[in-house]
Amino acid sequence: MSCRLALGRIACSILVALYFASGRVGAFEEETRLTPEQVQFFEAKIRPVLIEHCYRCHSVDGQSVRGGLVVDNRDALLAGGESGPAVVPGDLQESVLWHAINYRDYRMPPSGRLPSNVIEDFKTWIEMGAPDPRVQVGVVIHSRVSPEDIEQARSFWSFCKPVRRVADPGPHRTWVRSDIDRYVASVWNDQGVEPTADCDAETLVRRITFDVVGLPPTLEQRQKFLNRSKKDMDAAISDLMEELLSSPQFGETWGRHWLDVARYAESTGKEADVTFPHAWRYRDYVIRSFNDDKPYDQFIREQIAGDLMPAADDKQWNENLIATGFLAIGPKSLAEQSPRQFQADLVDEQIDTTTRAVLGLSVGCARCHDHKFDPIPQSDYYALAGIFQSTETFFGGSRSQRNRQPSDLIILPVQDRVPIQPRLSVEQLTILKQELAEKEKELAEARRAQRTGSTGGNNSFLNVAILDQMVSQLASRVASVDSTGRPISFCMGVQDRESVRNARILVRGEIDSPAQEVPRGFVQVLDAGTYRLPNSGSGRLELSKWLTSRDNPLTARVMVNRIWQTLIGHGIVREPDNFGMSGPQPTHPELLDHLAIEFMDHRWSVKHVVRSIIQSRVYRLSSRHDAGRLEADPENKLLARGNVRRLSAEAIRDAMLSISGQLETKPPKASSIASLGPVVVGPNGPMPVPMASVNLLNPAARDSMTAEQRAEAMRGAIRAGARNPNINPLEIPDYHRSVYLSISRSHIPRALDAFDFAEPSLVIGTREVSHTAEQALYVLNNPFVLELSDALARRLTQHTKDPRERVVHAFRLVYGREPTRAEIEAANQFFRKGDSSTRSGNLKRDEIAFRLLSQFCQALFGSAEFRILK
Amino acid sequence: MSDSRRSFLQTASAGFGYLAFAGLSTLNASRAAGFYAALDQEELGNPLAPKAPHFPSKAKHVIFLCMQGGPSHVDTFDYKPQLNSDMGKTGSGLRGGMRRLMASPWKFQQRGESGLWISELFPELGKHADNLCLIRSMHCDQPIHPRAMTQMHTGNAQFVRPSLGAWTLYGLGTENESLPGYIALNPQAAAGQNYGSAFLPAIYQGTKVGRQVGPRPGVSRAGSNGPAVPDLSNPRMTRSSQRAQIDFIQKLNQLKIQRDGEDSHVEGIIESYELAFRMQDKLPELMDLSGESQKTQDLYGIGNNATDNFGRQCLIARRFVEAGVRFIELSHGNWDHHQRLRDQLPDKCNEIDKPIAGLLADLKARGLLDETLVIWGGEFGRTPDAQNGDGRDHNNKGYTTWMAGGGVRGGFSYGATDEHGGEAVEDKCHVHDWHATILNLLGLDHEKLTYRYAGRNFRLTDVYGNVITKIRA
Repeated sequence: MSCRLALGRIACSILVALYFASGRVGAFEEETRLTPEQVQFFEAKIRPVLIEHCYRCHSVDGQSVRGGLVVDNRDALLAGGESGPAVVPGDLQESVLWHAINYRDYRMPPSGRLPSNVIEDFKTWIEMGAPDPRVQVGVVIHSRVSPEDIEQARSFWSFCKPVRRVADPGPHRTWVRSDIDRYVASVWNDQGVEPTADCDAETLVRRITFDVVGLPPTLEQRQKFLNRSKKDMDAAISDLMEELLSSPQFGETWGRHWLDVARYAESTGKEADVTFPHAWRYRDYVIRSFNDDKPYDQFIREQIAGDLMPAADDKQWNENLIATGFLAIGPKSLAEQSPRQFQADLVDEQIDTTTRAVLGLSVGCARCHDHKFDPIPQSDYYALAGIFQSTETFFGGSRSQRNRQPSDLIILPVQDRVPIQPRLSVEQLTILKQELAEKEKELAEARRAQRTGSTGGNNSFLNVAILDQMVSQLASRVASVDSTGRPISFCMGVQDRESVRNARILVRGEIDSPAQEVPRGFVQVLDAGTYRLPNSGSGRLELSKWLTSRDNPLTARVMVNRIWQTLIGHGIVREPDNFGMSGPQPTHPELLDHLAIEFMDHRWSVKHVVRSIIQSRVYRLSSRHDAGRLEADPENKLLARGNVRRLSAEAIRDAMLSISGQLETKPPKASSIASLGPVVVGPNGPMPVPMASVNLLNPAARDSMTAEQRAEAMRGAIRAGARNPNINPLEIPDYHRSVYLSISRSHIPRALDAFDFAEPSLVIGTREVSHTAEQALYVLNNPFVLELSDALARRLTQHTKDPRERVVHAFRLVYGREPTRAEIEAANQFFRKGDSSTRSGNLKRDEIAFRLLSQFCQALFGSAEFRILK
Repeated sequence: MSDSRRSFLQTASAGFGYLAFAGLSTLNASRAAGFYAALDQEELGNPLAPKAPHFPSKAKHVIFLCMQGGPSHVDTFDYKPQLNSDMGKTGSGLRGGMRRLMASPWKFQQRGESGLWISELFPELGKHADNLCLIRSMHCDQPIHPRAMTQMHTGNAQFVRPSLGAWTLYGLGTENESLPGYIALNPQAAAGQNYGSAFLPAIYQGTKVGRQVGPRPGVSRAGSNGPAVPDLSNPRMTRSSQRAQIDFIQKLNQLKIQRDGEDSHVEGIIESYELAFRMQDKLPELMDLSGESQKTQDLYGIGNNATDNFGRQCLIARRFVEAGVRFIELSHGNWDHHQRLRDQLPDKCNEIDKPIAGLLADLKARGLLDETLVIWGGEFGRTPDAQNGDGRDHNNKGYTTWMAGGGVRGGFSYGATDEHGGEAVEDKCHVHDWHATILNLLGLDHEKLTYRYAGRNFRLTDVYGNVITKIRA
């Protein structure tokens, strides 16, 4: 890092004061004031020992960094590794290093104890305050973003508060149905554009239903809408919309949109991919919030700082705690050895997700340097980092070879009346604890065997891996119940730490290169400086209020843009997570501001915005191909026609389930990952030990077995799991709505994965849309699709005996319309041809007919019309 | 663009999926603007259509032989005589305070006309020494397996980023009409990230063929029995009745176009069915080796217990190259020799020695080696000093990978580690440099191959990477 020494105009006046006062720019004077005797003692007695015996495993330049501990500079030594501070100046008992060299807890160095005189030297050194001249030369990072730059940037459109402007639809006055239309039509005047026609009622009822609840209209809904719309289209739309908005399917669909942005998943991802068995509570919280039409500002505040918000009762408190799962469910690299690096990455992930999801700004870019495009100096990032560093994140997990960074969970104030996991009797719990102790012992033995190579090579490796995983699972099972064996209800989330601390800027974002401290705060370009962060808390509560203040120019705009994109097909800002200077300009800035202000004026009601867009005339425009309009405006920036959209992965699957009559509309309790428990599902971990084998510990089954049989049963279960890699507990057929399918970051259910599901490790504001061979293969060959096609065929045969009427009914169910004559002819041809080709087998006539009918249903599911929303 | 390429694209448009991804490309055209700027509008239609490289190059295909676990370089491709003479030395005099140095138990020999030093563990591969370009100064940032493996694939262990194969496919498209452009053979179980496209469109991600299972990193089992690709065959229908069903689907799709007018989505879906139908035939056909002569099978060591598995993979890879697949990755595991190196390393080397030698010979004989870049390497190497008796620990500070064919300089050794093989010291090659060089060999400028995501242009090498021009032939 080239540190600019010339103090010219720098970003933060506070820093100027601090470092002028120190006299020597860039040096932490007070830390380096050592006497010559102290330095000499360190150089003669301590440093050579550290180099010879510790550096190999504990230095930045050594072969590895074991236990996250680095001893080659003072900061790192004081910060320590996984086990806490290696050295606490003046306090032998608190210094892990002292215990380690005395072969208590740890045995360091492993090659043999240090001579007693050397140990004595360390005692002297720690007691004299561990003087250590190896201080990194203090570095001050000077931002290239000046206060003037920031001030100037405040005039950038997205950093200015939304303002209401009038719009004149001119000659399109009669076309206009709502305020939204006025803004859209006003642009047409300048461009000489005419809007296309409205779409027909059949198209519109399908569009509205899929948009609002992610499902096709039922036959009744469709018929009612068609009848009503003949007399009064506006009323028909309103009726249908209100019915849908009040159904629980609304939250399941719109909650899922938020889950894309919140990078929701039920596992850590990365190398180990350890499950998050409690993440589903956050998922259900999101769905509930959308169904309740919780004000969006409150929704955001709860997710950032629910734990700090006042709660009227325990139920509310519960909800607030679960909401903070937003900050805890991100991807995590459990293989990371250094707790400090892990913590820095965790905080980074929280900053990145929060700022992009809520503000549409990528502040995370400023971790290593000033933001390249936006007026966000690196100090802004660390101002936020201080807030999150003063926050502790609880995501669970149990220590194992594959999980070096486990954490606790939050115990909910309101416990589940019926727990998710079965209750254990006190007796069972005792046995479980015994089993844990036994396995721990076995593990220690296996480790020893592995080290000494006393038992057959590879096997000891395998044994250690399996035992390690079992110990980890048993330990977490024991920890999951109270002393009476009753399962404890946990959630993921965050809490303030006891001590609040400002962050230090890290040079290039590297944890071992700290520069100056920055006070906790927000993003300067958006902050008028009206918030004071207290020393008594992390500042998250203030952050949440600042994010959702009416003065914040971005939060409302970003959310209404997301809603618009969902309903219209493109955002007004086409990169919904990038409202910064490198992002695209809004196509309709006045409309965006109008929607944002309306949103805030109507208590941040998402349903209000959805309602007003669906009631607009723009929403009704036909998407029919129109060569002239396409050529004039290929990207449809003027919105003079509707957009053709492809259904989401969830809508495709849910619609197949719903049309075939197989959809389970009742939400499941928890999720399949919750019942799997905390296990490693990732590529580099052991195969999960099936819960079944752990359940062998239940006394009834167990008492009838000898100890040997028991051990064999467990090993057998493990081997079976390893030998049957195709049995994936996450791919067991499930008939619930897709939002309830368990998402592991290393394994997305196939039905969703094939159709461009959101990558769950990233903030995804817009999903890709592709048409791939993989999708075709899925529809043509997947057993679940075949099963649903059979189910639809059964539904048709139960509906009528008349083959022709079956075809017509199928079109109504799948496409929501009557078939054309050409389509009936095509279907007949398919049946005729299939009939003759299948007849050669030994099948009975009605069996052949059923198979063909099922194939016909499958073809409708596979056709473009089913997948596309006109 | 040349006339032949133009006409190829035009004729290809009928059966290639020219319009298949039009819907997607409108979305992404702006994101890839920098990269696509030089291309014709018509090429924008299909993101998988072959694209001209940034500059002329020999390599058209990649076969990446990925060794999981960290193969020891000092016992294979990095000859360190001083390690032998300093055997047993220990203490502070050595770099990083090493443990007892362990000489390589195996002899090294100069092989080929070039005289490259290669260990006796690779007798067959050694015969191709004059085709090998050893990079003996590799280093990466991650000392642990999964993270190093991720960095090797995506350049970044911290964030989810597109893999080398995905970038390659994005940059060059593919020449095949019936197969995916990026195939991961025998992939690590669920290691999706290493073959993933991250923020690049999903179309560029690796298609996993065959499956690797195992309780530990690097434990691989042949994926010859399990389903190679999910949903590749129909459990109920014959080929002809499925064709009749697809014809019906396509009829419905065409009727929709007649009714509602042109629609890139519908056209894309139509193409997707045709490609899927072809893939159902083509993929199993390519993986069926029964049509290969006994001589060829022997060449790869197929039929021999030790070499059968990897031999099959190598032969399938050659068939994929012939079929026009752009990027093929093979995996071979169990190189993590913390102990009993003396017993285990020879087995591992033996398992791949003949298959790889066979692959190189076969590619050469068919005139494919020039246009196929073969890359061999693990996520890192191993320490010169001993661990657990005769094991070696992880070493990300210095190790060896090699390349062959595809326009690299054969019989050449680039860079060096210190006298014991502990650390790269001369002409160091970071994984970022390695990535930049691979793209360069494919005719792609790693600084220009960008994709816009979250408001900025991303590239495989982030802000790093220097092309090692010396290894170009």
